[in-house]
Amino acid sequence: MKLAFNLTKIDSSEDNKLHYGRKKMKGDTKLFKKGIGILVVVLVIALALAGCSKETTGFKVGMVTDAGTIDDKSFNQGTWEGVLRAAEELKLETKYLKPSGTTEADYIKEISNLYDAGFKFIVTPGFKFETAIFQAQDKYPDAKFVLIDGYPHSGDYAPVVKENTVSIFFAEHESGFLAAVATALQLKEGEVGFIGGMEIPAVQKFNWGFQQGIKYANENLGTNITIKAENVIYQGSFDNVAAGQQLAAQMFDKGVKAIFCAAGGVGVGAINEAKSRAKTGEEVWIVGVDVDQYAEGIYEGDKSIIITSAMKYIDQVSYDMIKAEYEGKFPGGETLVFDAKNNGVGIPAKNPNLSDEVQAKVADVFKKLQTGEIKVSDQQGSLIK
Amino acid sequence: MMDYIVEMLNIRKEFPGIVANDDITLQLKHGEIHALLGENGAGKSTLMSILFGLYQPDRGTIKVRGKQVNIANPNVANDLGIGMVHQHFKLVHNFTVTENIILGMETKKGIVVDIKSAASRVEELSKKYGLNVDPYAKIEDVSVGMQQRVEIMKMLYRNAEVLIFDEPTSVLTPQEIQDLMKIMRNLIAEGKSIILITHKLNEIKAIADRCTVIRRGKLIGTVDVASTTKGKLAEMMVGREVSFKVEKKECEPGEVVLRVENLSVLNNRKVMGLKDFSIEVRSGEIVGVAGVEGNGQTELVEAITGLRKAASGRVLLNGKDITDLSIRERIKSKMAHIPEDRHKYGLILDYSVEDNMIMKVYYQEPYSKSGLLNREAIHRHAEKVMDEFDVRAGKGAASDARSLSGGNQQKAIVGREIDHDPDLLIAVQPTRGLDVGAIEYIHKRIVEQRDRGKAVLLVSLELDEVLNLADRIAIINNGELIGIVDAKDTNENEVGLMMAGVKRGDIA
Amino acid sequence: MPLVAGVLGLLAGAVLMAATGNNPFQGYAYLFRGGLMNIERIGNSLATATPLIFTGLSVAFAFKTGLFNIGAAGQMLIGGMCATAVGLTFMWPKPLLLTVMIIAAIIGGAAWGIVPGLLKAKFNVHEVVATIMMNWIAYWTVYYVVPAYFKGTYLETESRRIPYAASLKVSWLTDMFNGSYINLGFFLAIIAVVVIAFILERTTLGYELKAVGYNRHAAEYAGIRANRNIVLSMMIAGALAGLGGAAFYVGYASNIQIGVLPSQGYDGIAVSLLGTNSPWGVFGAAIFFGLLHSGKGFMNAMTKIPPEIADTIIATIIYFSATSILIERNWDKLRKRMGGAK
Repeated sequence: MKLAFNLTKIDSSEDNKLHYGRKKMKGDTKLFKKGIGILVVVLVIALALAGCSKETTGFKVGMVTDAGTIDDKSFNQGTWEGVLRAAEELKLETKYLKPSGTTEADYIKEISNLYDAGFKFIVTPGFKFETAIFQAQDKYPDAKFVLIDGYPHSGDYAPVVKENTVSIFFAEHESGFLAAVATALQLKEGEVGFIGGMEIPAVQKFNWGFQQGIKYANENLGTNITIKAENVIYQGSFDNVAAGQQLAAQMFDKGVKAIFCAAGGVGVGAINEAKSRAKTGEEVWIVGVDVDQYAEGIYEGDKSIIITSAMKYIDQVSYDMIKAEYEGKFPGGETLVFDAKNNGVGIPAKNPNLSDEVQAKVADVFKKLQTGEIKVSDQQGSLIK
Repeated sequence: MMDYIVEMLNIRKEFPGIVANDDITLQLKHGEIHALLGENGAGKSTLMSILFGLYQPDRGTIKVRGKQVNIANPNVANDLGIGMVHQHFKLVHNFTVTENIILGMETKKGIVVDIKSAASRVEELSKKYGLNVDPYAKIEDVSVGMQQRVEIMKMLYRNAEVLIFDEPTSVLTPQEIQDLMKIMRNLIAEGKSIILITHKLNEIKAIADRCTVIRRGKLIGTVDVASTTKGKLAEMMVGREVSFKVEKKECEPGEVVLRVENLSVLNNRKVMGLKDFSIEVRSGEIVGVAGVEGNGQTELVEAITGLRKAASGRVLLNGKDITDLSIRERIKSKMAHIPEDRHKYGLILDYSVEDNMIMKVYYQEPYSKSGLLNREAIHRHAEKVMDEFDVRAGKGAASDARSLSGGNQQKAIVGREIDHDPDLLIAVQPTRGLDVGAIEYIHKRIVEQRDRGKAVLLVSLELDEVLNLADRIAIINNGELIGIVDAKDTNENEVGLMMAGVKRGDIA
Repeated sequence: MPLVAGVLGLLAGAVLMAATGNNPFQGYAYLFRGGLMNIERIGNSLATATPLIFTGLSVAFAFKTGLFNIGAAGQMLIGGMCATAVGLTFMWPKPLLLTVMIIAAIIGGAAWGIVPGLLKAKFNVHEVVATIMMNWIAYWTVYYVVPAYFKGTYLETESRRIPYAASLKVSWLTDMFNGSYINLGFFLAIIAVVVIAFILERTTLGYELKAVGYNRHAAEYAGIRANRNIVLSMMIAGALAGLGGAAFYVGYASNIQIGVLPSQGYDGIAVSLLGTNSPWGVFGAAIFFGLLHSGKGFMNAMTKIPPEIADTIIATIIYFSATSILIERNWDKLRKRMGGAK
């Protein structure tokens, strides 16, 4: 406290010194004194109050958001919804913090803030937390960490998952595969495209899975869907809405019927473009990502241009981890992969844009994924990009 | 008692930290021209602002036609028949004379402004007072003197009985001044009363009946002008004896220091502001440049000092061609320049006086050494110059230049320039806006430079100043040299006519 | 004056806290505790303040010459990129590597400052326009250069992590502050403050720069080459912001990310305002803002104030205190005018 006070004081005396030539009016000095007075009073009261804050004991759940807001309709929101559901059921206190930047230091600071405030079960969504969690798991051995879409490492990509950390991955390729099968079955023939955000593993796996799904449907389910290399594009960011709209417009103009968008805000632009085209009667579709985006694509009454969504059940996972901790079964030290087998990915059970017949066929394919009868690769292989 | 049309009795007005008017009484007789005399900052403007309703007095009473009044705002003053002709005209330039005059009190015919009847009234008033104003002329097309008459007309149109003139002659040529005085006499003859704010003693002697003098917010006295000498008035204003005639020896011109050859310079509007101008200034003489504002003086000075590029022609200093040298190289060649606008060019107002004193030499020893300022040397230097040139400042050399009075600012500039020991001193409007005391002092220092064998180029809009100081006078009109006359064998009238563009040979 | 402004800013923040149904006293208690409650947090506050000191100095320095440098963000980004590039390319011993990196940051920032300076001096292009353009040029330069030459193993969006030898973080300092992010950048900042204060107050260069800033006409009249000083001033301002980039990207952070213009660039304007454009004033203001930024999270964690509101509160404090200075200054002017008739 004293430090802050002194520094501001240096500040003002400096002002005096540099303007030594200027006549200082009496009123100013009075204002100065008054200012110091107010500051001192505020600080004293503040400290007194701080001293008597009640210490909460027990199990409090905190979350640090990744870049983007808590209502991003995607990653942050999904994670947080799971936390809230668990907290309501188990009567836990929750809190999320938003880092002021996206550097490791910014993340660690917020983790420390949660820890110091008694939130010792911390969920962090996103690969960007990898190095931060690597440090935090050592620094706060009595805290528990859930890292979604990444694993802790020191910067050298050698995984080090400590006893107090769980690392979570999703089989995005399986999710993309299912969405592709559903889309292909519904459209039967025509062209589809893909818009990705940044070229990062999770987005790449969505893309590769999607392409395999189209191929599978063409070969085994009698559809005739094409996907051209020029229509598989990574925009390069997750927030350029305008670029997303432009890319989608170009693809639609070239005759693409449906676009799979794994691109955050860029996808929002594509959805907007599709909505305005749908209003004029054009047949265009978007395949949503991460969560069920049906509601985002509504353009008239309850009609949506979202044909289906390639989902990762993030909310379910964050819920499950909190529940596990509550029951004393926290899988510390493990790296968990959520895929079709453990119902970690899939497409929404209901979407009026898909016929019952299609839904049934997709459910069939889903089962085959679960049994391992169908295998989806998480590598590029001979696929486009 | 009833002769007084306006009485301001025991007026006191205080501003934070300063008493602007302290127990001042001014009584204006019906039908007189009453001068209000005082140095800059003596409190003249405050007093008149109170009469015009811009300020409220802290104490004292104001009576108009014997009745006590409370002038809460300028509209009240208007209704009482008090009008003010401001120093800076408040006219709309692309409006006609009539439109400007009726602005704010338009008579309407239905929803249309009745210009015609207004114009005929303007015409009528113009005849009555000998103003000679064309009601349909646009302001941007008429001369400064005419604009002033439009301002006067505005007051007359509003039936003002008492007219306050704030420094009315500062923007006029000698001939225009004569015309203005004629108009003022006409006004008196038609029963108006006038308060004339000025610090020019000649004008007071020429036209005023009585004169009230104030100094530093205090009333010094009211005197009959006819029975008071100029010297006495000056003494009342300044508080000590003042000499008007600059004492100077016969001039002894030596070598040519400055030679300007066929110089042509573009002005800001990219047309020739100075045309084929040639002049010489020798050591030990003062050459004055006389002319009405905006006739090429600025272009001449800026081309000589390097602030502006010459379009053609040459400038030689001590025989060396300096036409293409940088400003700094010209300064190094021993040229000093007291600029026309001391706030724009002469000083850095946010710098202290001592920093201003080294503006042109800061990079030289002892003020700095290998890029490091020597504060002590700078301070000593400033104190020396301030001492030598009587520059007074609240906190001495460390005062902000901004905090100095105009006179002290100018003395500081003059001190700085002279201290550099130049061969050529260019002084532009060196006493603009200063009071008699400061003017006297600066004149003395300029003549002293001449006597030390320096060449001085004096550019001034004050004809008095040029006539008084210069040994030779170059008259400039419309960017051209009209002629060069010896100060000894010319007079105000001749120079005035030449300033209007009449060549010497043409004068009958 | 800045102290009063700071208090006014805090009061404005308090009003906002109260209006959103929170206890301002409690809020501030946690805010300041969050920034100061232990040695690590003090270190983090100083580390957060470090780039702000540089960008604040950059803006203040240009302002002394009458120039408004909106381009601190871009200059910082380029400075950071240059330092990162050197740090990732060469395997030299730490002292040598850091020295070269710092020089690279200075050159990068200076280059980004010199362009608007030249445009202003030669073609009278307003520096606000030019510096904003340079910000975006920096943004896109980093956007393409980093993924093309320094990309991480998996991530396209940021550079590789810089090795310890190339980081301004040093173990003795990190240990002293208990694992904090404070780094040598803070000492560089202090040196910069001292040097800039010295240049402005004690050198002919500072004399010239300020003369041009206060009154360009008078400076030219006195033979000072105003255009040269404008270029020089922007160059130094750019170099300062470039150093800020080094302090941020290879000090506070450990890699450079693409697609982000650092907010410190714009915050520098507020820092400079609150610091009344004086080097030590900037230092104080930057520490104050650093404290606010760094304490915010703890206030968040300990109260019911949601992060979005907390951001608004901090922004309110910062901009209210910065603009208070402006109001204050104009108030003085107004008072002088009222008492104008001497």
